[in-house]
Amino acid sequence: MKIQKANAGVLTNFEVLDFLQSRGAKIDPMGCLGAVAASECKVYEYLLKTPACNQTRESILKFVKRSEGFRLAEADKLNVINWRPSSAADAYAMIEECGKRFSRDERGEACDEDVRVQEFLDIVKEVLPPPPPKAGADVDAEAEAKAKPMQE
Amino acid sequence: MFTLSQIEHNLPMPPHMLSRPLPEAIEAELKTLFLDKVIAKLGLCVSVYDIRSVEGGSIHPGEGCSTYKVSFRLLMFKPFIGEVLVGRISGYDDKGLQISLDFFNDICIPGHLMQYGTVRGPDGRWMLKTEDGDELHLDLDDEIRFVVSSIKYPPIPIEQKEDEPPFAPMQIVGSIKGDGLGLLAWWAADEEGEEEAEQ
Repeated sequence: MKIQKANAGVLTNFEVLDFLQSRGAKIDPMGCLGAVAASECKVYEYLLKTPACNQTRESILKFVKRSEGFRLAEADKLNVINWRPSSAADAYAMIEECGKRFSRDERGEACDEDVRVQEFLDIVKEVLPPPPPKAGADVDAEAEAKAKPMQE
Repeated sequence: MFTLSQIEHNLPMPPHMLSRPLPEAIEAELKTLFLDKVIAKLGLCVSVYDIRSVEGGSIHPGEGCSTYKVSFRLLMFKPFIGEVLVGRISGYDDKGLQISLDFFNDICIPGHLMQYGTVRGPDGRWMLKTEDGDELHLDLDDEIRFVVSSIKYPPIPIEQKEDEPPFAPMQIVGSIKGDGLGLLAWWAADEEGEEEAEQ
């Protein structure tokens, strides 16, 4: 075995999900037999629970374009696309040296960091589709829906 | 989280595979060879992404199989240092927390890489003591966000002692020291509060 290129490109979670889907990965455990290997199936199931599950190629391209002014590194963009930060604290975890990056605007002039972070989060919120509701929350909602008619 | 790695390999094709079309047979062979295995320094192989080229097909003396020189790309699970991942707490001990990503389990968060003030409670669970005196427990099955601080590929041990945990060819060390890291519930709470206020 000879390693020609250890790193021949990084993929976002969405691309992996899309690739596995094209190979025939399904959530049904029996449907997976034969079509894809167990390891692929597990990755697929994990990715379905991440914000990548309802992204599209267009939404990611749009995000990359819109976020140009923030001068993010590729790694930061990847983190943001994979996990879709929804609060300033999330953004600080995902973007390196958030404080330095967000204290200057497109033209390199000093600006308010908090405002700038919020601006960035608004773009994320607008362009990337929201993650699926949590399974737990779903159960609660269903339970509530069921409980209501009974009260009536 | 996932990268592609381009690899060239001299692949012997066992005779019983010769009845199948070549690309299909090569992919099946590559899958049995690499899938779900860790290649040192490259990460855990998730899938065969594509086959770039196939050359040769020579039969060596004394062998019943034809050998192809195949160049292909593998889809590897290899997070970079500083990448944010979300997993589930699958266990804890006095060293720290063990995290599972469902498809990959050898992740640990040692005690010194947790938020300042995280200690072990009397019942053995890790908890974060806040300034207000609250105790935030890190429970099993809680969803946790962490950054990758290092990845280790320990050499295969020659001898396996009985009381040692099973050998892990790839170990990820995570950190939850920093803003926005730790249990998802810690950081989601404010947002829900805001939404409720809006409603």
